[in-house]
Amino acid sequence: MNYDDVEILLAEDSIDDATLTIRGLTKSGFTNKLHHVKDGVEALDFLYCKGIYASRNILQYPKLILLDLKMPKVSGIQVLEKIKTDPDLKSIPVVILTSSKEDPDIKKCYALQANSYIVKPVDSDKFFLAIKEIGMYWMILSEPPH
Amino acid sequence: MAKRKESDVLITGKELFFKDEKKEKLAADLIIANKELEFQNEEKEKRAAELVIADEELLFQNEEKEKRAAELVIANEELLFQNEEKEKRAAELVIADEELLFQNEEKEKRAAELVIANKELLFQNEEKEKRAAELVIANEELLFQNEEKEKRAAELVIANEELLFQNEEKEKRAAELVIANEELLFQNEEKEKRAAELVIANEELLFQNEEKEKRAAELVIANEELLFQNEEKEKRAAELVIANKELKQAEDDIRKLNEELENKVIERTAQLESVNKELGSFSYSVSHDLRAPIRAINGYTRILVEDYADKLDADGIKVLQSIMHNSKKMGNLIDDLLAFSKLGRKQVTVSIINMAALVQLVTEELLFDDGENIPEFEVELLPPAKGDQSLIKQVWINLISNAIKYSKYKPTTDISIGAYEKGNLVVYYVKDKGAGFDMQYYDKLFGVFQRLHSQEEFEGTGIGLAIVQKIVHRHNGAVWAESTLNEGTTFYFSLPNIKT
Repeated sequence: MNYDDVEILLAEDSIDDATLTIRGLTKSGFTNKLHHVKDGVEALDFLYCKGIYASRNILQYPKLILLDLKMPKVSGIQVLEKIKTDPDLKSIPVVILTSSKEDPDIKKCYALQANSYIVKPVDSDKFFLAIKEIGMYWMILSEPPH
Repeated sequence: MAKRKESDVLITGKELFFKDEKKEKLAADLIIANKELEFQNEEKEKRAAELVIADEELLFQNEEKEKRAAELVIANEELLFQNEEKEKRAAELVIADEELLFQNEEKEKRAAELVIANKELLFQNEEKEKRAAELVIANEELLFQNEEKEKRAAELVIANEELLFQNEEKEKRAAELVIANEELLFQNEEKEKRAAELVIANEELLFQNEEKEKRAAELVIANEELLFQNEEKEKRAAELVIANKELKQAEDDIRKLNEELENKVIERTAQLESVNKELGSFSYSVSHDLRAPIRAINGYTRILVEDYADKLDADGIKVLQSIMHNSKKMGNLIDDLLAFSKLGRKQVTVSIINMAALVQLVTEELLFDDGENIPEFEVELLPPAKGDQSLIKQVWINLISNAIKYSKYKPTTDISIGAYEKGNLVVYYVKDKGAGFDMQYYDKLFGVFQRLHSQEEFEGTGIGLAIVQKIVHRHNGAVWAESTLNEGTTFYFSLPNIKT
């Protein structure tokens, strides 16, 4: 499989949240290729072209990373820290998509240079609107670094 | 010659023959001689040619000689001119010599005159030297006399100084004698005074001794009195020691009780802290783990409604909408519960709140649905109070939104906001003319998830007033309400004023 044209990397352990996020983007008309990884280890494998992503071109950076915080093995915070301390990766916009409203997480994420912190709304109306606006902002309005 | 010729005829033939041979020899010789001549002629011609060259050479030399001769003529003329010049110079030198000779003679005359003048001068010098020598002798004499005079003068100065010193010494001695006399006189007078004083002092001492004896007698009496008092004091002291011991015992008991209390407080605090921590992680779990499945239920139901509507009848769609409505409500309940539990853990940062500005901000930030009554606010003067600005803002938001919500079935929404001071507290109130409630259910009013109206009538989770109460209690204030069913409600809350 070719991963070189992946524009959005979605790291989300919940199949349900991933399904809803992807639907939100497609329903809003985004055609950008999205790749879904199910935990932090897979997210880092993708970014560093390891394991099943060994054949991926490391210089083809995704335009946006949507990152869930509470994931098994390697947490979203750890993935964020790795990305934002890597000189090659740190300019990729990382939007934290999480269920947690807890303050320490928000502060920690911004301290680690997260570009945005979104609490996923329970109401699907608001959820799909949030996903659409994230797509509008980061894929259309905001100029990518690469 | 003739004889020869006759003999010659006799021997003609031979002779002839011989002559022929001779002739041939001669011819040969002649040829040789001719050749010789020819050679000589050639030599002569060579010589002649050489002579010609020699002649040309001579001619050239002669011409050169003539040129030299012409040059010699010119040189001779030059020499002649130079000789004439020399003669002229010689003649001039002769004249100059004569002049010099005359000058020399003059000089000799002057020299002779100078010799005479020198002699005269020499004589005068000798005379002057003689006078100088005489003067030197005279000067030496004068010098000697002066030195003698100076010696005498110096001796006189020394003698004078000696005299002066002796005079001063004499004067000093005289002055000292005067002082010594005065001193002696003064000492004599003092001795007389002391003698008189001693007489008086003796009389005084005598009097004092008599007085002391009197005092001693009085002291004996006083000592006896003191002794009695000391005995009394010792009795009291013994009684106090007993009382002190009892007090100490009481203090120790109190200290022990205090320590026990403190330990209990520490224990309880630790327990409370661990409960708080548990609550913190509980609310994190609630926020993360409970919200996720509800979001999924709500989201998937929406997908059903959006993508599969044509496969369901109206009742089916209605069921799905109920699922969506209920899951949304549950999400709201969780969020409210979380907000409420967070309040208990939030740090209260107290500052002086400009209440008028805060209330204005809250009323400006209100959002309204279409068709909803826009409230008429009547705001009185609101004094400042002490509190946590963000928490107190939440109190105003909840109370004002409640007032609006419970007025929605009235034709207009009229809300009055005001305050009054009561002791160290400021009491604020929000008064509406809305639905009101029956005061017999008052005790449920501030309970978590407690509602006095149906969800259909007035939507809500029942957490708003619980939050208000919790915030006000954390400020050491109070919250209460007065209501008349169908006429309206007034909510009051108090906060410490800025003077406290």
